[in-house]
Amino acid sequence: MTSFKPTRRTLLKTGTAAAALATFGPAVLRRAAAQDADLAPYKSASIDWQQASGETITVAVIPASYFENLIALAPQFKALSGIDVRFEKIPPAQIRQKSVIDLTSKTGTYATHAADPMYYALYAANKWVEPLDAYLSDKSLTDSSWFKFDDIIPAWRSANGIDGKLYGMPYDGEVTIQVYRKDLYDARGLKPADTLEAYMSNAAALNTPNDRVWGAALRGVAGAGQNMYIYPSIFREFGGDWMKGGKLTVNGPEAEAALAWYVDIMRKYAPTAAANWNWPDIADAFSQGTVASYIDAHSSASVINNAEKSKVIGKIAYARWPKGPSGKRTTSIWNWGFPINAALPEKRRKATWLFIQWAASAETQARTAHRFAGLTKRSGVNRTSIWRDPDYIKLMNGFGENFVEAAMQALQDDTDVDWRPRVPQWPAIGDTMATAIQSALSGQATVKAALDDAQRRIEPMMRG
Amino acid sequence: MTAKRLRVAALLAISFVFLLAWAFPIIWSVLNSLKTDSDVLAYPPKLVFSPTLDAYRDVLFGSGSILPNLVSSIIISVGTTVVTMLMAVPAAYALARLRFRGKKFAGFYVLATQMLPPVGIIIPYFLVLRNIGWIDTYQGIILIYLSFSLPFAIWLLVSYFEDVPFEMEEAAYLDGASRLRTLWRIIIPQVRGGIAVTVVFVFLNAWNEFLFAVVLSGNTVRPVTVAMFNFVSVEQTLWAKLAAVSVLAMLPVVVLGVVAQKHIVKGLTVGAVKGGGRR
Repeated sequence: MTSFKPTRRTLLKTGTAAAALATFGPAVLRRAAAQDADLAPYKSASIDWQQASGETITVAVIPASYFENLIALAPQFKALSGIDVRFEKIPPAQIRQKSVIDLTSKTGTYATHAADPMYYALYAANKWVEPLDAYLSDKSLTDSSWFKFDDIIPAWRSANGIDGKLYGMPYDGEVTIQVYRKDLYDARGLKPADTLEAYMSNAAALNTPNDRVWGAALRGVAGAGQNMYIYPSIFREFGGDWMKGGKLTVNGPEAEAALAWYVDIMRKYAPTAAANWNWPDIADAFSQGTVASYIDAHSSASVINNAEKSKVIGKIAYARWPKGPSGKRTTSIWNWGFPINAALPEKRRKATWLFIQWAASAETQARTAHRFAGLTKRSGVNRTSIWRDPDYIKLMNGFGENFVEAAMQALQDDTDVDWRPRVPQWPAIGDTMATAIQSALSGQATVKAALDDAQRRIEPMMRG
Repeated sequence: MTAKRLRVAALLAISFVFLLAWAFPIIWSVLNSLKTDSDVLAYPPKLVFSPTLDAYRDVLFGSGSILPNLVSSIIISVGTTVVTMLMAVPAAYALARLRFRGKKFAGFYVLATQMLPPVGIIIPYFLVLRNIGWIDTYQGIILIYLSFSLPFAIWLLVSYFEDVPFEMEEAAYLDGASRLRTLWRIIIPQVRGGIAVTVVFVFLNAWNEFLFAVVLSGNTVRPVTVAMFNFVSVEQTLWAKLAAVSVLAMLPVVVLGVVAQKHIVKGLTVGAVKGGGRR
């Protein structure tokens, strides 16, 4: 792995999605799709792929390379099934809004959409989307020995399930891991942190703002998917429990200790601006050599390895989340999944399921990842078997030392279905918590006051 | 003398500071749009760099070209402006000059649509358009934009119409001109400045609108404000390209502003010294 010598070409291959897309884009991708249009692996499934032929479905996705690769292969799905898929790209913040509007109004505009796992509780409570179990067990719709549902990463399956029922099929996901500058750590004789305490002391040892190197950075900007993406891991590692006596609780001693740790590391050892950073900003800073370590999504590896702008290629190594005082490591169980809109007529629901099955199948997952003919390969495939595939591992190893090991261990051992509170009220709760965390990070409120205030605001939401 | 000079110098300095603060984001965008991605991130920020038009080439002619989106924006903004003005001029004239039953109510009703926060009416609009099959169509978006641009234009224009001396109109009537002819030949030339101001504001609002556009548009109709967001992906922010699109999106507005500037300044002054109320 250390012998990995990045050339411009290999890095572009594994490298940053959007950049490559914007430059080379759909034309190349479509050509790639045409080259690889062998349908035999799909036809070995004992179902009639053509049973909903002639249907047209609209799928909302976010602008991201992992969906671009899927879009590039859509002509293959059309050839296989006779179903037309229209994709609509919507920015991440608005896709939630727009799909909720569509679901509440029961207009059936989007047959399926890239869904946030935190929203399934809301969807399920309102019966806006259908449980997928019926589709999985219907022999005319799913060949279970071909689809191998159990091969899909267990943490993501449970993240997308409510009360044991699956509501969204994981398509692409991520884990949070420690990313650090091996050269800086080595120079000080430091090791990647095994505990949050050690992470703090590493950050202290490396924090030299006068040389424009800060010890660490975590997402600080307010948002349910920003600071409320990082904080829940810390909260759980400190032994926090969202449900205390059947009541959603966001304050208390564990919460205070967790938020205090977050505030401490951000205020002492992160660049001041990091309180307003989201992960692309952190990755940009890290790639410029100004941050010694961060904890964030494994998929950020492509950005810090982008030969066009990164100055730290070859100096990067990875490790799992440091353990908290409770002895636990808690990674994110984030994934984009596909639900089925319950407002669709029956035949279109079948068409949607066939699309979902095709997109989540091992074959399509591989064709959009290491076997993708375009420049940008996916690094968030949904299949355990692919994570163990030597070709996939070879691709991922280009990102730096210990990358595959750290990401895989995190996927297997550090996941926690209660990472964030999964209740229908999540959108409002996520925002409230995000504001509370921000006021603590910015020093406007003490940790205790911020959390107590959040608790006061959240209680009426849970009653309503 | 020196006191006066000092005062002038102080005023100049203050205006310069303000100007700098306001112009900074624009200058910054223009500079970033001419940099490579690695130059954008360089520290300390490079003031001297070898400028490249790569970002412009990519956003205009690359695969994710925003040309169709610029066309979308132009159709929407021009369409909204033209329809708004065609309806707002007669409406404002009527509210300023005519006496008719329910005039007060009509005046209030026009304003009432401005009282709701836009986010509160997105869902009803979405449903209405969805039911008539106008989601993701130009007519649908223009129709919705009219709902806020029309009241705004009418209220802006009423004040200009009220400023035209009644005597001018009477003189025209005495010479045998009809009301329409009077409106066209006498009144409108008098409120040219007001009309220019209104056109600029209506165009600007339609051009910059994002909230409705993101919900009511789709793959066919996709204004540049929505398309721009694709450069802020979940994976990374493409600063140079984002800056290039911003600069391109600013251009039509700047051009329109320069063209209309003479009228705007005049229009604003007319509005400023306006005395009296409704006649």
